Amino acid sequence: MRDDDILIGSLMEESWLTLEQVAAACMVEPAWLLRHLEEGLFPHAESIAGTWRFSGMTLIRARRMRQLERDFDAAPELAALVADLLEEMDELRARLRGGG
Amino acid sequence: MQFKDYYQTLGVARDATADEIKKAFRKLARKYHPDISKEPDAELRMQEVNEAYAVLSDVEKRAAYDQLGRGYQPGQDFRPPPDWDAGFEFSGRGFSPREAADFSEFFAELFGRGGAPAGARHARGGGRAQGEDHHAKLLLDLEDAFSGATRQISLRVPQLDAHGRVVLATRTLNVKIPVGVHQGQVIRLAGQGAPGTDGAAAGDLLLEVHFKPHPRFRPDGRDLHRILPVTPWEAALGGVVAVDLPQGSVKVRIPEGAQSGRQLRVRGKGIPGEPPGDLLLDLQVVLPAADTPQARQLYETMAHELAFDPRQPGRA
Repeated sequence: MRDDDILIGSLMEESWLTLEQVAAACMVEPAWLLRHLEEGLFPHAESIAGTWRFSGMTLIRARRMRQLERDFDAAPELAALVADLLEEMDELRARLRGGG
Repeated sequence: MQFKDYYQTLGVARDATADEIKKAFRKLARKYHPDISKEPDAELRMQEVNEAYAVLSDVEKRAAYDQLGRGYQPGQDFRPPPDWDAGFEFSGRGFSPREAADFSEFFAELFGRGGAPAGARHARGGGRAQGEDHHAKLLLDLEDAFSGATRQISLRVPQLDAHGRVVLATRTLNVKIPVGVHQGQVIRLAGQGAPGTDGAAAGDLLLEVHFKPHPRFRPDGRDLHRILPVTPWEAALGGVVAVDLPQGSVKVRIPEGAQSGRQLRVRGKGIPGEPPGDLLLDLQVVLPAADTPQARQLYETMAHELAFDPRQPGRA
């Protein structure tokens, strides 16, 4: 491997993800995301001076909610509830795996 | 290329109604849901189920597939006749082209032409449009966050071939992982997403960091948790113990009178960064077995000499 073949990544601070980036990464329409944000279904997203900013964790949540809505015709609130439960399960599973 | 029997994948008859297909899909979507399923190949199966449903839930695609698939057995070598899809128009809904990129070669051959390639964003009132950001998951060892690492990643990218058909190309990139990455963080590779149109800038490639499970450490942001086993005398009398880290080790002072369940915080010894995370140690007092006469003697001496009753009210 030559040194100039190696791409250097830059770390995005968590607040750097924009609405368009989250929408593109999760394959959802920005309007879908915006509607869900306005309904309070993304508790970890913040709006500062009218601009939404997102943590990397939002990506997983958006993807999960969209799949639940599409696969089961789930109401957005139900998809959000399932996403809440899955997030809690992730946390508990991580604790179980070790290290306290 | 092998013929795929989408009816068999969903477990429905060839004359199944749209409702029956939807019901069969939902049942399987629940069974193979990647967050819940205990099946070892759940993710792969879910992909097959999604692919079958993308075809059979779409009236036009299903009709074309039925016409084409007559007489084929699953697994049989398959080549679509030229212009087989004349007269069909695929609207491509439900699954985005980038999701369809994970579908089989069989699917791409049949329906690839119907979906727009995951290329440039639609231009708004002009020909120039910046390329779309692409996105992928990156699975790392916790140690990589301490030392940095160079990882080779392979991505399947849909591209248009000379006939205007969507084909899957494999792209391999060598990526330097910066020190200090943590779970859920995103690494941006500028200009490595989809190309722009008419000379506009390419999109970025966004890599979402996930750690493989570690036997001892549990990362939480930049903080690291681990259970620290200590001897009864280290806990009772206090002492200094060496604790291994993902990279190197650190000496930690156990305070006198420590108990199981107490948490010690070692500042700045978690994942490096500005500021670095902390190391959080959950103490666990481990008793030596009374399996030698000498060990039994020591326990018996304590039993006689110490007035200790952990069940006494008011004792934590």
